[in-house]
Amino acid sequence: MADIAEEIVLDVKDIVIKFNLRGQALTAIRGTSLDVRKGETLAIVGESGSGKSVLTKSFLGMLDKNGWVDSGSVLFEGQDLAAFRDEKPWLSIRGKKISMVFQDPMTSLNPLKNVGAQIAEVYALHRGYGAKQATAAAIELLDRVGIPEAGKRHRQYPHEFSGGMRQRVVIAIAMACAPRILICDEPTTALDVTIQAQILDLIRSLQREYDFTTIYITHDLGVVANVADRVAVMYAGKIVECGSAEEVFYDPRHPYTWALLSSLPQLGIKGKPLFSIKGTPPSLFKTIEGDAFSARNPYALKIDFLREPPRFQVSPSHWAATWLLDPRAPKVEPPEIIRNLRESRQAQDAWFSGSKA
Amino acid sequence: MSDRLPEAIDPSLFEFAEFDEGAGERIGYSDYSYWKSTFKVFLKNRMALHLLIVLIALLLFTFVQPLLPGQNSPTKINIDPATSVQMRNKPPDSTFWFGTNSIGQDLWARIWSGTRTSLLIGLIVGFFEMLVGIIYGALWGYVRKLDRAMTEVYNVLNNIPTTIILLLMAYILRPGFRTMIIAMCLTGWLGLARFVRNQIVIIRDREYNLASRCLGTPTRRIIGRNLLPYLVSVIMLQTALSIPGTIGWEVFLTYIGLGLPVSIPSLGNLVNEGRLIMMSPDLRYQLIFPTIVLSIITISFYVLGNAFADASDPRNHV
Amino acid sequence: MRDIEKILEVRDLSVDFKVKGGTFRAVDKVNFFIHKGETFGLVGESGSGKTTIGRAIVRINETSGGEILYKGRRINGRIPAELDRKIVQKIQMIFQDPMASLNERAKIDYIVSEGLYNIHGFSSEEERKALVQKALLEVGLLPEFASRFPHEFSGGQRQRIGIARALIMSPDFIIADEPISALDVSIRAQVLNLLSQIQKTKGLSLMFIAHDLSVVRFITDRIAVIHLGKIVELGDTEEIFSKPLHPYTRALLSAVPMPDPRREKGKKSTPYDPACHDYGEEAPSWREAFPGHFVYGNESELEDWTRRFA
Repeated sequence: MADIAEEIVLDVKDIVIKFNLRGQALTAIRGTSLDVRKGETLAIVGESGSGKSVLTKSFLGMLDKNGWVDSGSVLFEGQDLAAFRDEKPWLSIRGKKISMVFQDPMTSLNPLKNVGAQIAEVYALHRGYGAKQATAAAIELLDRVGIPEAGKRHRQYPHEFSGGMRQRVVIAIAMACAPRILICDEPTTALDVTIQAQILDLIRSLQREYDFTTIYITHDLGVVANVADRVAVMYAGKIVECGSAEEVFYDPRHPYTWALLSSLPQLGIKGKPLFSIKGTPPSLFKTIEGDAFSARNPYALKIDFLREPPRFQVSPSHWAATWLLDPRAPKVEPPEIIRNLRESRQAQDAWFSGSKA
Repeated sequence: MSDRLPEAIDPSLFEFAEFDEGAGERIGYSDYSYWKSTFKVFLKNRMALHLLIVLIALLLFTFVQPLLPGQNSPTKINIDPATSVQMRNKPPDSTFWFGTNSIGQDLWARIWSGTRTSLLIGLIVGFFEMLVGIIYGALWGYVRKLDRAMTEVYNVLNNIPTTIILLLMAYILRPGFRTMIIAMCLTGWLGLARFVRNQIVIIRDREYNLASRCLGTPTRRIIGRNLLPYLVSVIMLQTALSIPGTIGWEVFLTYIGLGLPVSIPSLGNLVNEGRLIMMSPDLRYQLIFPTIVLSIITISFYVLGNAFADASDPRNHV
Repeated sequence: MRDIEKILEVRDLSVDFKVKGGTFRAVDKVNFFIHKGETFGLVGESGSGKTTIGRAIVRINETSGGEILYKGRRINGRIPAELDRKIVQKIQMIFQDPMASLNERAKIDYIVSEGLYNIHGFSSEEERKALVQKALLEVGLLPEFASRFPHEFSGGQRQRIGIARALIMSPDFIIADEPISALDVSIRAQVLNLLSQIQKTKGLSLMFIAHDLSVVRFITDRIAVIHLGKIVELGDTEEIFSKPLHPYTRALLSAVPMPDPRREKGKKSTPYDPACHDYGEEAPSWREAFPGHFVYGNESELEDWTRRFA
């Protein structure tokens, strides 16, 4: 595990993001804070409706037209990104200092331009390279991200590449200007599992070489376990738990994190039902009182329906926002599956006995 | 860092609450209604709203007009009782609000009668186009076995210039109300059929249609309940645009002499008559009035059709 | 315990698609069978042909060779209308994308009972409504949802509506085509439990098509691994997981991410390289390596692979 540096490269404080939908102002992010440390890989875990994509889009000024940052700040290199009012200040940040890789490589690429040109564009725009120099740099980068025969293939169009190859091109475009932060929004969800492993490896090696910070947004806990130094768990527009990967996986404290981990089939026992959370995440249109997870939380206390829980520190690097951590709350053991996670590692050892032979 | 703990919380609140399973299900859904949202977006379009009112007023008036007191017959040749001379080319005044034409007929009455006729043709043809276009297009798009044959039929019919068909029909069947309708029905449905077919090809292999096939739903019900409801906006748009289109063709045919006979006033006839004397400035009113009415109808249908199509696109339902 | 009776048998099944410049063989002489009452997993990545097989069984795709036998009767190709009707009722499918598999313009009431209309499965309107209510309750939804439209529900709820739609027909055999891939992590468990429970209580046979091996291990009794239209390995689930023979199976297994940071960080991935096979000298065939455990390869490969587990 990489040493987590103390320097904070992105500091999000109490950010509130709202949307105007069908005449109503809805709150997608309900006031949450996050700090991103230099050189780390942070994973933001959440399901649909948690707001994870919205949060990171605000770091790039890419909220939909009907959305805005209502309050709070996003400090980056001495500037407050949340205070930007028009496009101009974003131009020197987007693609240059903070870059994003999206889920679907097919819609992220311009189908009418060859891949080399799309990368060269970035060099020309942000670094002022001339045409020849930009193309040469593009070919070099294509080669670095693992596109075979880059010297020839740079002239090909996106549809001539497979899904995994396209995602590599997208990563190349995002990397071209050596950004300080790379945000990857479900970069492997649309890909097959064997390609997924390759893409994650690629991003990891690029991060070592170019020394940037990575933020992953995903709902796949396996991916998180693979890549993350620190993990932030989001539910209904707020971060509910945050800590190092080991802390969150082996010592989770928030009932939602328990529920997420417990429901993984990898940890299930054949013949017995998987643990599953009843119900559905709240829709944005309903106002949320108290803890958003309370309606689905079998461990909910009465106070969960009335007052939102504050953050409680479990260790200097690990906190969770749940009333269960309040000294006045009854002592609750996490579900058996979580307690057995360490023991079930032996079972997982058996899983791999076949492949390791 | 912890936030400060609030002091005065009733300790009994730290007991487990009762777990209501149903509550978890209920918080999931929203109450969005497709048609309500379509309506709302449409109403927000002020121009469309105003034109809708104008159009409805116009339509109502064309049917109400003959029932009003003191209206002249559109075909009656008005003779000045004092001089026993036809009241030709009289500019608009208090008796003849739109003036008279070159043989003394009341232009006001003619225009409203003409609008009625033209609208009737437009609506009948539009309805027929909708019926045949939808059925042909739906079968063409959905039933793969028929695709080749129906494409050939479409190509052949589409390649024959509409003008020639209309001319041929008018020549064979003699110009008249029925001929005009038959001729335009024959050619008009092709456009909508193509639209419908293209849309259906796009959605026919979506999973919900595959699911219906799995469940044994017959083709007619798949077309009727799965496919056509998605095409309502496209169909409405096409039909809305076809009405002024039909009227336009009617004007054109009249221009080349194959339209309705002069005894049946129509917007085409009126525009044609007006065109003949448009060079003299004091008679220009005979062209201006029918043209204004024609323009209002055409523009209204175009704008309304487009506004409705935009409003029914779910992506605009924000 | 499962019956020895085979409810579905697939023999030398091939499915070709017409593409620019010829035909594309999506499924290449595939063989397998499913016991009555068991859950059979068909695992492969995109383009492997697994969805095509599922759709060929329910007669959405046409087959280009081979046979599909349901309870001994051939159900692919041209069949009598009476058999076609029977299949509609007895074999049902659950689709992958809950956002695309329901008719947005129809009420849940109609969507769930659509199949019943087709097989005249009710004698009165009250009976139909009661059947819809029962189906919704069975999948954990509230009966009041019947009068609503699909867009008012979340992905997990919609998927359960799709399951209700299949269940109301009282089928014997359900094909679930990646039923949880498009769902959120915590919802997947709900749907998996539901499928598991339904299968047990109703004694259904279930064919579970997936690309995620971890899910398959949890829910299936036997699995087949498919790669580019050919089944490369088939056997009892636990057998395949503990003794994976074919390099593709091993690659798939090693690529599955486990929710365990310490294990994941130290993992090395072993990708599958089709060039590792040399079929010039010895042709491959479908062989039984261990009892009930089949693999596609030639003699020397088989020796190699089984040696590890000797």
